[in-house]
Amino acid sequence: MTKRTFVFAVILIICASFSLTQEKSPSVIAIKGANIIPVVGEDITEGTILIKDGLIEAVGKNIDIPAGAKIIKAEGLFAYPGMIDGSCYLGLEEISSISATVDYRETGRINPQVKTVEALRPDSMHIPISRSNGITAALVAPSAGLISGQSGLIRLVGWTPEEMIIKSSVAMHIQFPSLPRLRRRRETQPREQASKQVKELKEILNQARYYQKRKDAAKKNSGLHLPEFDEKLEFLLPVVNGELPVMISVHAENDIKAAIKFVKEEKLKAIFSGVTEGWKVAEDIKKSGIPVIFGSLNSVPPKWEDGYDAFYRNPGVMAKAGVKFAFSSGSASLAKDLPYHAAKAAAFGLDKKEALKGVTIYPAQIFGVDKMMGSLEKGKVANIVLADGDILELRTNIKHVFIDGKEVDLSSIYTELLEKFKKR
Amino acid sequence: MKIKENRLFICLFVVILLFTATSSARVTPTYAIVNCKIIPVTGSPIEKGIIIIRDGLIESLGPQGKISIPEDAEIIKAEGLFAYPGLIDAHTNLFLELPKEEPRRPGTMRTSAAEPRQKEKAQHPDLAAIKLLKPKKTAVADLHKIGITTVLVVPERGIYAGQSVLLNVNGDKAEPMVIKSPVALHVNFTTARGTYPSSLMGTMAFLRQSFLDTEHYSSYKSQFTESSRGLKRPEYNPFLEALSPYVVKKSPVFFNCANLEDIKRALGLIKEFKLNGFLTGANEAWRVTELLIKNAKVPLLVSLNFKPPMTSIYANQGEELKKKAEEEIYPANAANLHKKGLTFALTSQGLKKPSDIPKNVQKAIKAGLPKEEALKAMTIIPAKFLGVSSFLGSLEPGKIANIILTSGEIFDEKTRVERVFVDGISFEMKEPPKGEKPTKVNIAGKWSATVSSPMGDLETTLEIEQDGNEISGSISSNMGKWEIRDGILNGNELALSIAATIMGEAMDMAFSGTAEKDSIEGTIAVQEWSMELKAKRIPDGEF
Amino acid sequence: MKRNTIGFILVVSLVVFSSFSFGQDLLIKNGTILTVTKGKILKGDILIIKGIIKQIGENIKAPKGVKIIDASGKYVIPGIIDSHTHIALTGTNESAEAITAEVKMRDVLNAEDRSIYTAISGGVTMVHTMHGSSNPIGGENIVIKTKWGKTSEEMIVHDAYRTLKFALGENPKRSNSPTVGTPRYPQSRMGVNAIIRREFLKAKNYMEQWDRYLKAKESKKSPKNLIAPRKDLRMEQLADMLRGKMVARCHTYRADETLEFINLSKEFGFKIACFEHASEAFKIAKELAEEKIGISVFLDSWAYKVEASEGIAYSAAYCTKNGVLVSINSDSGERIRRLFNDAAKAMKYGGLSEEEALKLVTINPAIQLGVEKIAGSLEVGKHGDIAIFNEHPLSAYTLCEKTIIEGEVYFDRAQYLKEREEMEKKKKEEEKKKEKKGGTK
Repeated sequence: MTKRTFVFAVILIICASFSLTQEKSPSVIAIKGANIIPVVGEDITEGTILIKDGLIEAVGKNIDIPAGAKIIKAEGLFAYPGMIDGSCYLGLEEISSISATVDYRETGRINPQVKTVEALRPDSMHIPISRSNGITAALVAPSAGLISGQSGLIRLVGWTPEEMIIKSSVAMHIQFPSLPRLRRRRETQPREQASKQVKELKEILNQARYYQKRKDAAKKNSGLHLPEFDEKLEFLLPVVNGELPVMISVHAENDIKAAIKFVKEEKLKAIFSGVTEGWKVAEDIKKSGIPVIFGSLNSVPPKWEDGYDAFYRNPGVMAKAGVKFAFSSGSASLAKDLPYHAAKAAAFGLDKKEALKGVTIYPAQIFGVDKMMGSLEKGKVANIVLADGDILELRTNIKHVFIDGKEVDLSSIYTELLEKFKKR
Repeated sequence: MKIKENRLFICLFVVILLFTATSSARVTPTYAIVNCKIIPVTGSPIEKGIIIIRDGLIESLGPQGKISIPEDAEIIKAEGLFAYPGLIDAHTNLFLELPKEEPRRPGTMRTSAAEPRQKEKAQHPDLAAIKLLKPKKTAVADLHKIGITTVLVVPERGIYAGQSVLLNVNGDKAEPMVIKSPVALHVNFTTARGTYPSSLMGTMAFLRQSFLDTEHYSSYKSQFTESSRGLKRPEYNPFLEALSPYVVKKSPVFFNCANLEDIKRALGLIKEFKLNGFLTGANEAWRVTELLIKNAKVPLLVSLNFKPPMTSIYANQGEELKKKAEEEIYPANAANLHKKGLTFALTSQGLKKPSDIPKNVQKAIKAGLPKEEALKAMTIIPAKFLGVSSFLGSLEPGKIANIILTSGEIFDEKTRVERVFVDGISFEMKEPPKGEKPTKVNIAGKWSATVSSPMGDLETTLEIEQDGNEISGSISSNMGKWEIRDGILNGNELALSIAATIMGEAMDMAFSGTAEKDSIEGTIAVQEWSMELKAKRIPDGEF
Repeated sequence: MKRNTIGFILVVSLVVFSSFSFGQDLLIKNGTILTVTKGKILKGDILIIKGIIKQIGENIKAPKGVKIIDASGKYVIPGIIDSHTHIALTGTNESAEAITAEVKMRDVLNAEDRSIYTAISGGVTMVHTMHGSSNPIGGENIVIKTKWGKTSEEMIVHDAYRTLKFALGENPKRSNSPTVGTPRYPQSRMGVNAIIRREFLKAKNYMEQWDRYLKAKESKKSPKNLIAPRKDLRMEQLADMLRGKMVARCHTYRADETLEFINLSKEFGFKIACFEHASEAFKIAKELAEEKIGISVFLDSWAYKVEASEGIAYSAAYCTKNGVLVSINSDSGERIRRLFNDAAKAMKYGGLSEEEALKLVTINPAIQLGVEKIAGSLEVGKHGDIAIFNEHPLSAYTLCEKTIIEGEVYFDRAQYLKEREEMEKKKKEEEKKKEKKGGTK
């Protein structure tokens, strides 16, 4: 080998090693110069966030940046925790009118056995759109029937469902039978039916408790017969054993009161969702200690007397009463609008800081993942959004999104089609 | 000879019988109503007067002393009674037996190829009420009880609902009742189902097109009649035939106006096609009085139905406002129209039963309609509108003897109709049995109950609260105090649920049984067991 | 709200029926005025006399007796115009037949529709309310102002274009409606095109028949037994399209069907004022700009059916930047109150400027409806149709405080809050009374 060839080879090897290290995601990233809104703790102007191995290593004003760290220049940008959608259908729906693409609704009334994370489509066109608006995690929830199934918490990035799942079972969803007061003129459920359904719920929970007892008894005494396998009861066991909370969708004042009673009597861990008339019974909800996930605020309140802005006012009133809350988009195609529900509530009385918490730390707390996410604090996963303004604002542009410390692609079907037709 | 004589006698007898049998309508007695107060409606009231009825007509009427009582008259002593013209209800759906309607099937417009297309015929202008009359004795009695002696029977279903007939309620046979048929064509701003027009916008276009087509059809026919040579003969069209008298010859067309926009729609069509239009229903007339004043030539027949229509803001801004609308605002319709100088008749259109009529007239009077106006609106004005005022609508000599005798002033709450004359035929009103009001069972209060189970008897105390027919409360025993929930009392049937906690276990027990004022009996079901419950009311003051 | 609403309505009805005079006098002071067409005034006034804007500027002196609204710290913009809705109507579609050009929204106006109030609570002062999209040819639409509390006649805007609703794609071919038995023709895009062509051919034939009849009638050698043709209301409407008296507003999603409809319009010589929804407009921005046909779109409502599955949020901004006149509509009795939020999104998805974004819901829909002379921007001579916001209208934190039409305040949030307070107070007092009565059992 000639000297020239040798040098050439060495240079090649050095270049190769460079490129190799560049392909691997940098283990340390430093976001420099951003205005940091950690959500928990004081805001930091022109601060630094250090990311190491997917976690937030440090957040502060004067942080030492280790050598070899990838530096993201964030001067003039605002750093927020990635937002968390309190309930949506991301990955479970592509085109709402085509049932072949809809997988969050099962037939039948009692379906505790179905889990949304088992129907997840990681490649859904809606996920990148939501993600590119700063949403990094979401609760994907089932609907329909009386007991709809189990929701799960996912991160909005991943090639397979496994890669996306943060928590495969977050809550058991129940659509609370409603007394016909929130319905428009024609009452679809006569009063007896509603109370019959509540009875039914209590029945089946009782049966599950008894099922557990028999199982326990049979365990202790091998002579006893095992109870016959019952799918519905089997999957309700974590609920009656207090391990799995129920998420109850409920709206009207009297229904909320009935639901609070139900939860108390059945000794369940609970979260309420929807709760559009919650402002009428905010005190009761506060006393019960049950947190609330607001649905989309974009409906016209059915009762004229409640006022045109009843749904907008609702979060502010509930927050003032001390109820723990979070926001949700309740959608797949409009999941990206999560921050704007929070902003709308802020326009109508909710404190702006609380609104931001309602899409970050509060949902994290409600879903029991607040040690992992929901704020920019050391030790939490590096779910970070860099934007050129307030992320609850409509005109803000998101510049970078990090999930688990890795920057994610901000392109989506929106940008792809746009680029394609720009070429015309 | 004897046989011959007998035969002759029999023949004569038969002939006489036949003669009397085939002579004209039955002879009605001559009546002299004496000593009553007469309110003729046209003309001043007569404090103490006499009315002579003969051959179905008012022969004469006047103050006591001025009128001589004929020999053959049956005298009706009417001291303290009031004589009014029989009331005219210019819109009723009584006495009609409509062809059976196909049951509504939910869902879409299209039906399966196997089933016949479920088109509802909404356009039957040729449906004549006179062919569908089925008078019922009870309906006749109900009307007489409230002083109504003449009714316009109106078919109500469909866009072109059909043609009405005017009846004098003189018995329970159809033909003798008919005064005039057809009276008018009746139009509703409704839709057809399963076919065009299936929306209100479609109905408006359809009505216009049908009027245009009728005009075209009629002129084509006349042209053909005048000179048929070289002209293709017009095709017979039963629909357009039926409409022709109304569109071309300007027979009356009644438009049912469910809300204020319907009034505008009707007036628009009447103007555009120069129809002889009438407005009916119109319980929102008070909201468009300026427009009605501009169109004062169009007769107005307002209904005594005070329910705000579904489109009204009064029906859509909360229960409180809706109630106020039905109790105060809409009842003031007639009073408002009167204040603006508008003339109108009052009808029972939309009311569920005849007994609602006097109730609602009273409401209208309470809301400001002068009593005399209310009376006019149910006598001479509808008579004028319906073109029968030359022989109906007031107490005048020569007019038909449609008279009501009341115990007090008409439309007063306590006033009862004592006797009714229709076509001079007398109908006496019988007293209803006293004090037979259906009472609602009230079980609110304290009860002592014994629950019998296979394990023995349990003494309990019930504290019951009742709101309408919703029952709640509690049941207490030495096992604890449990809540009573979801209780419903339907007549005497009682169903409720007891939220029991037994040995720390929550258990729902369902009760069903019967309840009287002072006793409750029934069965409690808990899982597979059932227990008897017998409860007796604890009178107030006892414990 | 209820009692005052009744009172308000009764009073207004009395006033109106006594003497209908156009508009009222009003002076709005000290607001940040976004005129949309003539720039921004940081602290300015608007004087409205008898419903018309007489002056815009700084420090306008109030004429005697004129009502003054203090807009300090607030944003004053032209009343928002929604050019595609179905509010204030009794019914939306006549779907029993595929062609129903004869039906008119004018016949079914409903001034008591609560959605009118919803609209003014969101700063909307004018709407184009339309037949639905169940038919290839629907009915005649109408433009109204959202004068909540007034009569339906008073709401009508007479100076707008006459428009006829057309629809292409899944809705008129009934793809998303359950069909039992014999389906209604057409069931394909080919059929939709063919049936529209058929109706225009029929209309041409109808017009010719009438022409011949009228000519024959007038001619001296008029044949005996001349029968007039039947007047057909449906054909009259299509004839008006061919005569240029009415323009087409066509519901479309896919780019190809949009282009086909442009071909149809050229084949028969009728004018297209605007395409509705046009979720794939960004694919044919070039053609739309060339043909000078506007679009009225959702900013980001999409993926609810197949033909909407490529409706990207960038479309509105992209088309605007490429010379297409774009307006944003709501097509919803709920979204109508958030049009200003949708406009803001066009800044995020496509980089429109503030002014360009505001135009999407003000002057652009006005031009599309033919009412730009009276509405769509704050200019002297135009109607005093104004919306006042507490924050910048394109901020997510804003809300509409007042909506004014022709100088009259139709929505006043401060008034609304006061009434709510009184209602709550009354409720509490009643509850206290009930408790006292209920008391001991």
